[in-house]
Amino acid sequence: MPFTLTPPLQPPATRLRGGWQWLVALLLCGGAGGRGEAVDPPVTPAAEAQFEAQVRPLLVSRCQGCHGATKAESGLRLDSRASLLKGDDAGSIVSVGDPAASRLLTAIHRSGDSPMPPDEPLSAEEVAILEGWVAAGLPWSGPGADGQPAAAGVATDMEQRLREALVSHWSFAAPRRHVPPELKPAAEVKRWISPLDRFLAAGIAAAGLEPSPEAKPGELVRRVWFDLTGLPPPAAEVDAFGALPEGEREAAYAALVERLLAAPEHAEHWARKWLDLARYADTSGYALDKQDNRYPFAWTYRDWVVGALERDLPYDQFVVLQLAADRLQPPVPSTDLAALGFLTVGRTFLGNQHDIIDDRIDLVTRGLMGITVACARCHDHKYEPVTTADYYALHGIFASSHMPGELPVIATAAPGPEAAAYAEKLAELKAAIPVHEENVHLRGTRAAVSHAADYFFESARPSPRKPDNRPPRLADGYDLAQFLLDRTARLGEGRDAADPLLGPWIALRSKPDAEIAAAVTTLVAAWGDAPPAETINPLVRDEIRSAMPTTLRDVAEAYARLVMRVAPPWAGGPEPQASDTAELVALRKVLGEEGTTLVVARAEAMQLATIKEGIESRRLQKAVTQHEVEAAGGPQHAMVLLDTSPLVDSPILVRGNPGRPGEVVERRLPKLLGGTPADRQASGRLELARGIASADNPLTPRLIVNWVWTHHFGRGLVDTTGDLGLRGEAPSHPELLDDLSRRFVEEGHWSLRWLHREIVTSRAWRQTSAVSPALAQRDPDNQFYARANRRRLDWEAWRDSLLVAAGTLDLTRRGGPGMNPLAKTSLHRRTLYTRLDRQDVPGILRTFDIANPDTSVHTRSRTSVPQQSLVLLNAPLTLHAAAAAAARTEREVGPDAAPAARIERLWRDCLSRSPTLGELAAATAWMAAAGKEPLADDSQAAGDKQVAAEQQVASEKAPAEFGPWEQLAQALLATAEFQFID
Amino acid sequence: MPEFFPHHAARLSRREALARTGMGMGWLGAAALLGADAHAAGTQPAASAAPGLVPRTLEARPPHFPARARAVIHLFANGGPSHLDTFDRKVALEKYAGQDVPGTLPTERRTGAAFPSPFAFSRHGESGLEVSALFPSVARHADRLLVVRSMHADVPNHEPSLMLMNCGDPRLVRPAAGAWVTYGLGTENQNLPGFVSMCPGGYPIKGTENWRNAFLPGAFSGTYVDTKKRRVEELVEHIRHPLLAREAQRRQFDLTAALDKGHLDTRPHDPQLESRLASMELAWRMQAEAGEAFDVSREPQHVRDRYGDDVQGRQMLIARRLVERGVRYVQVWHGAGQPWDSHDEIEKNHGRLAGECDRAIGALLDDLVGLGLLESTLVIWGGEFGRTPTVELPMAGTDVKQVSGRDHNHHGFTMWLAGGGVKGGAVYGATDELGFKAVEKPVHVHDLQATTLHLLGLDHTRLTYRHSGRDFRLTDVHGRVITDWLA
Repeated sequence: MPFTLTPPLQPPATRLRGGWQWLVALLLCGGAGGRGEAVDPPVTPAAEAQFEAQVRPLLVSRCQGCHGATKAESGLRLDSRASLLKGDDAGSIVSVGDPAASRLLTAIHRSGDSPMPPDEPLSAEEVAILEGWVAAGLPWSGPGADGQPAAAGVATDMEQRLREALVSHWSFAAPRRHVPPELKPAAEVKRWISPLDRFLAAGIAAAGLEPSPEAKPGELVRRVWFDLTGLPPPAAEVDAFGALPEGEREAAYAALVERLLAAPEHAEHWARKWLDLARYADTSGYALDKQDNRYPFAWTYRDWVVGALERDLPYDQFVVLQLAADRLQPPVPSTDLAALGFLTVGRTFLGNQHDIIDDRIDLVTRGLMGITVACARCHDHKYEPVTTADYYALHGIFASSHMPGELPVIATAAPGPEAAAYAEKLAELKAAIPVHEENVHLRGTRAAVSHAADYFFESARPSPRKPDNRPPRLADGYDLAQFLLDRTARLGEGRDAADPLLGPWIALRSKPDAEIAAAVTTLVAAWGDAPPAETINPLVRDEIRSAMPTTLRDVAEAYARLVMRVAPPWAGGPEPQASDTAELVALRKVLGEEGTTLVVARAEAMQLATIKEGIESRRLQKAVTQHEVEAAGGPQHAMVLLDTSPLVDSPILVRGNPGRPGEVVERRLPKLLGGTPADRQASGRLELARGIASADNPLTPRLIVNWVWTHHFGRGLVDTTGDLGLRGEAPSHPELLDDLSRRFVEEGHWSLRWLHREIVTSRAWRQTSAVSPALAQRDPDNQFYARANRRRLDWEAWRDSLLVAAGTLDLTRRGGPGMNPLAKTSLHRRTLYTRLDRQDVPGILRTFDIANPDTSVHTRSRTSVPQQSLVLLNAPLTLHAAAAAAARTEREVGPDAAPAARIERLWRDCLSRSPTLGELAAATAWMAAAGKEPLADDSQAAGDKQVAAEQQVASEKAPAEFGPWEQLAQALLATAEFQFID
Repeated sequence: MPEFFPHHAARLSRREALARTGMGMGWLGAAALLGADAHAAGTQPAASAAPGLVPRTLEARPPHFPARARAVIHLFANGGPSHLDTFDRKVALEKYAGQDVPGTLPTERRTGAAFPSPFAFSRHGESGLEVSALFPSVARHADRLLVVRSMHADVPNHEPSLMLMNCGDPRLVRPAAGAWVTYGLGTENQNLPGFVSMCPGGYPIKGTENWRNAFLPGAFSGTYVDTKKRRVEELVEHIRHPLLAREAQRRQFDLTAALDKGHLDTRPHDPQLESRLASMELAWRMQAEAGEAFDVSREPQHVRDRYGDDVQGRQMLIARRLVERGVRYVQVWHGAGQPWDSHDEIEKNHGRLAGECDRAIGALLDDLVGLGLLESTLVIWGGEFGRTPTVELPMAGTDVKQVSGRDHNHHGFTMWLAGGGVKGGAVYGATDELGFKAVEKPVHVHDLQATTLHLLGLDHTRLTYRHSGRDFRLTDVHGRVITDWLA
């Protein structure tokens, strides 16, 4: 305990702990201040010592990590006395001298809704130190004291963080052209002459490594086919390429690349990768009871992506259309509106707008630029120079955009009976919705009008509520609706006691019953016998004069009778007549017409719906969706996003909480991208699109170049493909990435095809994937690209390859609504054209690592689990493919061919090559031995038959015939070679 | 060897070891899975890992610190069982029966007067724990239960509460606890899935989201099993060739293996290929082992009788068999939809539901004790929330005048834990006089999750995964370990 001049005095209401009594004593003696006032305590050397010894270390170690110079969560900084007094976004956090009234103390006592620090609580001792410090008036010395800057040497705010990051972080500066390094003669000889190759060759040489030789012709053809189209090459093509004289191979390879790049199969293959990034799925996610979660027209977006890639739409335009196709002038062809599905095919979170917007913000920022903005929903970003203001400026852009109820038609079905039947049924189903809403409107309004007295009374004198805060239920079982109570309470808005219609209600509704009779008498007396209609509506006067109410209930009932006189006939009122008096018409305008307090407008009918009526409403909507999904002959719609009217700016939601709106931010791009404001007459999506798809945007070209690179090479120049921010990995070859990004824009004019060509014609990409002992030893992870990476086929390419081997795939069938990926009936469609329910992703797809459709995915994870192998061994898909492949070879070689010929054929169909002599011998021997054992044990077969009969799905479950040839085909399809690209 | 190739050592040693021991594919199977792909070679600790080093395989990994439990069985009484009729007796409800009471809190629907439990409570075991007549078999284990009476969640609706209980967030797409745990620890039996979620007759509300991997690699997703089905090949997807007998399939398998071996021989130094071949071997063994694990007909009749020869009995027995075999995380749902959601006729409905599962749960606890597994297996029982002490009033627009049920209650409810290093015969926390709100030592769902991870040897603040530029964790920025629960 430090020395004190006078005995410590303790204010009665303040519990002081932690050795701060002496300070308070000083305060009191000096006569300075009382509780609740911001006063500067005299900072004595003792106080200074105690602050430095106890308080500052606590603030630095436990608070300033989140509330300091590098970030200021909730707008709070605890590194200076002034900022502490300023408080956070919600206002003051300390009441000087009064710990009990300080939110800071509530937080560290962990008794409120935001206990602090969030992870590890302060010890009781530490709490006491801060409590005492607040009670003592926050004495602060040294850096951060009043008039002194916070501790020196650290950036002080977000602005500065942004300035620093723009200078220091590699991806925030524009990429520059670089001169590729000069080649050593050896490399020249191997023709590593493209800029891309020269950058890589330099790195390989610097690491003391040698590049690998080119892949064998057969491997190369197979690799380029899979990489560009996701399909295996025909064996004949592989053979023909291999048979070319060495001198002709180069030109033949270039021609092959051009042919594949121009093929629609190429567009399909890369569209699927883009759909991962676009978190594409065919459903909206979780559905309530009687809701259909299917998007009938998500596939129009998928088909648009295929079409855009097929025509090699420049990437900048590709992006702009997906964000703002509806905003372009001159208007784009209606088919391009389907591009907006990029924004709208996400999860809908049961309609939670903030979550939907968050998903879209993440998609456009992280998805397209590799920068995570979504973290700033609740607090300024911990790492990136992105503020909550940046986030809510984007929020406003999407809050000013909506998906209309009626989606634009982009194509119609051929006219005919099917189209007519579709339209007729759709009209019928849609017509049921307004009928239902009409019924709800009728019932709800009748009930409201007949309980008008209760609404008037309850709105003026609310009955005590239970803690569940529900409006009361009346004796007849009717639940007053909060929605209508609020409207009734607003009845007098803009009017006063002099209003001829509502004046008496306004004058009387706040009076206690004891004063009502006298007030009514005064009113009636003031009206006299024949007041002008501007003073009091005669109908109101008559009603009150005859009732002479003595209680508020009486007044409410008088007004309820007035309501009944003017309620619409369908709600129990009299039919309006041409002869109706002016006063009746005036009364009707305020209390009886549609859109008045208790007679809600038709459009608001569903606000009156009971739970049952709500379910019925969903059921009717579901029938429409079901028809649109399942019936043929309908038009195609684009899942557009359009600007709303009116447009809105969003408030910052403190800690992301919609109940705590803060300062409103005007719509604009993030400061990191220059902060371009949105056109005040539009949502701002167009500015956003142009800001992203700009040659000046440092992130966009790098992201897409690195993304394409990753999918070709099996690893990225930046290994965190979707994160170019401060927390992402730095590029392994920064000059190469920058140069290629610039050339992509300047030489390639944003052509993805140009980029693919640059990569697959490079020497680096054409290296063998064989791992030499030297490379295994010195660069096992292939950081230097001195060989190719062997890769496993992803789900789509694997399934498509199965169907190619089976001979069932029909590549001429493109587009259209998605098929069930596991049904036997979809064995002729590419996997791209199967539908995906994000709510129920089949296990087999998850097993094969398909992208999580709930978030933008740049590269899929790659797992190796036995369940994948179980699919190869036992899944109906594999079995059907094997059976079809066996049948195909029989057709191809004829029934009388020697087994060796059919084996050869099988190899060529499945693996795009002929078997080696050893393989041929092994397979021949295997076939010869086959059939000498029972195929199935009887009990199991019997069980299967029983199940099949029960479920009537025999043909879905397994092919009818599974003899030796089928087994051999399956054995081949299950090999590693089939599943991997060398 | 340069230090910046951290998985180099594991990879070389695996191959070298293979050469040295001269063992065949079988050994390679176990070893190569250690490095299932280029990004995940070597034994990874469970701690949060830098990008590129995250575990992607199910191989068992050491915890952050010594674990008390090595497996979890989560018995999910989905729909929201009433704590007031099971483990949280409230005499005040009898006192105020039929009267409106202060302290009624907002829940999903309108509730009325205090509604005493129709079920008798009695004390059990040396601890004298109070359990209602609904759970006589569970009550036999009173001295092993830690009854947490002060649970609370965020909202009174099924969907968000299920998500909170399973995935730590009511709305956003986050991985399930079982996925986090298998991500952190892997699993002990490579021939079985590491995270199994059993629900008879279909999905619970929210379906597969309850056991999703979300942004974690697919290997950590829960494997759903419809325990209403009886035949093994229907219980586990792709577990058996529908047409070939085992011998015939063995011949076929051998041919593939021979072709693969030739392929591998010409492509040395490739861990990806090695792990692919290993995974084939594993799958082959899994066909046998999973078939065996899920086949309760292999249990003696007297054991099956103890569990009861019905859906609940079968699935509890499967749960035991899985944990015995080293499965890390088993979730057992009562049934499709939300069976415990007794808005009406709670006496009849809760009576029926408890009647369906009590015996099986009791038998499961018996066996875990008997096999010495309880101390290393954390059993968790509960719903996504509890129910109101006040009676639910009929909805507007319905004529039904049933006033015999309880509404959802997230303000306070009960869960119990057993085994896995928690105290037995103990009660933790309390609700208010009526049982509406957790008032004494309240436990949020995040606290339960933090403590569950702690029991498994995982620090909930360090079990993280980098995604979208952020390190995510099960408890987000919340949760505290309740050390009072530890035995």
